[in-house]
Amino acid sequence: MIRYTLVRGALLIAGLLVASAVIFLALRVFPGDVAQLIAGSKATPAQVDALREALGLNRPLPVQYAEWIGGLFHGDLGTSQLSGASVAEEIALKAQVTVPLMALSLIIALLIGVPLGILTALLRGRRSGTLVNVAAQAIAAVPVIWAGMMLVVVFAIWLGWLPAQGFPRNGWADPGRALQALLLPALTIGVVEGAMLLRFVRSATLQASGEDFVRTAAAKGLTRARALILHGVPAVGLSVLTVLGVQIAGLIVGSVVIEQLFTLPGIGRMVVADVGTRDLVKVQSELLVLTGSVLVVGFLVDLVHHLIDPRQRESA
Amino acid sequence: MTRRSASLALITGLAAALALSGCAGSASPEPTGTVDPDATLTVGLVLEPTNLDIRHTSGAALEQLLIDNVYEGLVTRTQGNEITERLASSYTVSDDGLTYTFTLNDGIVFHSGTPLTSADVVASLQAVRDDESMQGHSELAGVASIAAPDASTVVITLTAPDQNFLFSLTGPAGLVFQNGDTTDLKAAANGTGPFTLGTWRKGSSISLNRNDAYWGEKAGVGEVVLDYIPDFTAGVNAALDGSLDVLTAVDPNLAPQLEKSGDFVLTEGRTTDKGTLAFNNAKAPLDDVRVREALRRAIDHDALVAAVGAGQTMYGPIPELDPGYEDLSDIAPYDPERAKELLKEAGHEDLTLTLTIPSFYGTTVPQVLVSDFSKVGVTLKVNSVEFATWLEDVYSNKDYDLSFVLHVEPRDFVNFANPDYYFGYDNPEVQSLYAQAKAETDEKKSAELLAQAARLVSEDHAADWLYNGATITALVPGVQGFPEDSINSRIDLRGVTLSK
Repeated sequence: MIRYTLVRGALLIAGLLVASAVIFLALRVFPGDVAQLIAGSKATPAQVDALREALGLNRPLPVQYAEWIGGLFHGDLGTSQLSGASVAEEIALKAQVTVPLMALSLIIALLIGVPLGILTALLRGRRSGTLVNVAAQAIAAVPVIWAGMMLVVVFAIWLGWLPAQGFPRNGWADPGRALQALLLPALTIGVVEGAMLLRFVRSATLQASGEDFVRTAAAKGLTRARALILHGVPAVGLSVLTVLGVQIAGLIVGSVVIEQLFTLPGIGRMVVADVGTRDLVKVQSELLVLTGSVLVVGFLVDLVHHLIDPRQRESA
Repeated sequence: MTRRSASLALITGLAAALALSGCAGSASPEPTGTVDPDATLTVGLVLEPTNLDIRHTSGAALEQLLIDNVYEGLVTRTQGNEITERLASSYTVSDDGLTYTFTLNDGIVFHSGTPLTSADVVASLQAVRDDESMQGHSELAGVASIAAPDASTVVITLTAPDQNFLFSLTGPAGLVFQNGDTTDLKAAANGTGPFTLGTWRKGSSISLNRNDAYWGEKAGVGEVVLDYIPDFTAGVNAALDGSLDVLTAVDPNLAPQLEKSGDFVLTEGRTTDKGTLAFNNAKAPLDDVRVREALRRAIDHDALVAAVGAGQTMYGPIPELDPGYEDLSDIAPYDPERAKELLKEAGHEDLTLTLTIPSFYGTTVPQVLVSDFSKVGVTLKVNSVEFATWLEDVYSNKDYDLSFVLHVEPRDFVNFANPDYYFGYDNPEVQSLYAQAKAETDEKKSAELLAQAARLVSEDHAADWLYNGATITALVPGVQGFPEDSINSRIDLRGVTLSK
């Protein structure tokens, strides 16, 4: 287990380094730069270039990369070229919206996906099971943004129960209102992700019901459903854990889109805005934090998996 | 995950359709009560500033937020773009147009508590003149000296008369900052205006608080919260769910929703926004005046304005609110047949051109152009890019055929008199007329010269002006005194009141 952790940890660090280089280079492909945006459309080329020089944009790329990485090793994510604010502080501030949004979305997705997935597996071959399954297929195929629009029109515009967009200006000072603001966006992501999860849980459950240990239990006189719930579901839990890593990536992508749609001041919207203003030092740190989160989740999932799955432990 | 990304434009349209089809009838506006002097006014806007340093950063969003509200200059503009006094109680211009003498109002105090003197004005203007990294630097290039004979007088001497000089002082170039101030202007502010800067929640809102120590008439509300909502539909939704008192820059195609709700009064304001279809005059085939004229005559401007949903047609570079305006609609009226003839003469019966357009301008304008041009045998490819990309490719590198940008800046005719500008338009006669207009001390005569130059530019078909924009603002009935005109570059919030 210790050897596994070390090897997996080394992989994680290598992954982060590769990601940092890819992010850094990919961002340099964009036309335009922050100096032009600050100077605007009245500036002469000489003025823009003087600004570039002042911002350090004229230095060779390896130097700029080394500076950024050097800062990261000291825990410094850099400062925004536009606002002069610390990137770490900005991320921490926006995370107060994005992290609860993702958590809430995940809870909703699990509440929808797991019980219904098991239920449709149990109801396999019956009309009601097929109906739920077809509905899930359809919902999983809906673009998040479209689902969000629908929910806004119904719950915010027609019924007026929930705010259509935005986040309370005083943040979490009034937790009730903050939660209210996150409910529609989280529901949007949660329903779509949940429908995807449902299909996954269903097939995992069906697979488990064919496993030897479930069949053995059934042979011992349990009904198929009881055998499945008592012996199959723990195995399904493991598979769900594996898919969670993928789901987190989905949640991040979903939250970028949804924050745009609902005007939530979160990390996703910040990244989009910063790419637009070519505040590249800020964007590269933001993207690395997001990528890092996904890689770390994957790392943790693998470790837990390794711990509890007997088959994996034997092979290690 | 690609199937999850969707075109916002499509969604916007869909949401509009949905909301229109299913808008629940709400109550009519309640009768307004008494004015609340300490009210919080919530205003929805589209474009958020990237930082607060108006001295070094360009952008209408910054001017809109800070000028007249937080920072002030010696003079400012009225909604109709006329020059009027602000920190100066009066000013005189010498007959030769070289010497401007300003007398300051009494009791002006910075937000820091320090009284303002003429020395602050001198230092502020001097900095802009001497430091080329400052916004407006080129506008003060003709300043010979700035002096303060006493604590309440400022004298500015020019090297040559400049009809634009005073107007330049109404912009970022003329704002007055405290001399020797150490405030970090990117994140904080210290001005003389009727509001102090409250909290800036990046990506969300900026609040302004009434400055109770203001030297002039104090603001009519206790606090203004500017909510930045970049998505037009989300903005309208926010207004409909009751979280805004005012929504500016309402998408004309979504305005009927707000009207139908019965909760809002809508105003339509005039602007100096010029929807400019730039032709790359320096590059074939657009260096041929026949091709440029053909393109202009191929566009049905009335239909285009109707599609945009607000504004009016304009056929020359100068809008109605600026000096030198005249109706030039006779120069290139809609005539697709003539357009075809012109293209044939020029040997371009089958022409393909690319339009480079920043993506936030949406799809309405490109769609109209594609269809109008196709009727005269011109295939238009649309290249929708980020604004930063437009700045690089079109503005800096002049690498384009056609471009569309909304030029909002008032009195910016100079762009057609500048051969280095991205239009690539180089006409010595226009340049000479513009120089004369600038040097002319008589305002009327100066405007006449500008009008002559503008006519030449339009006769050369140096560009096409698709429309002169109008801004729609939605207000709850309790809001009084909210500016209507030119509010995309200025929103003077001092006189706004709110009754509940």
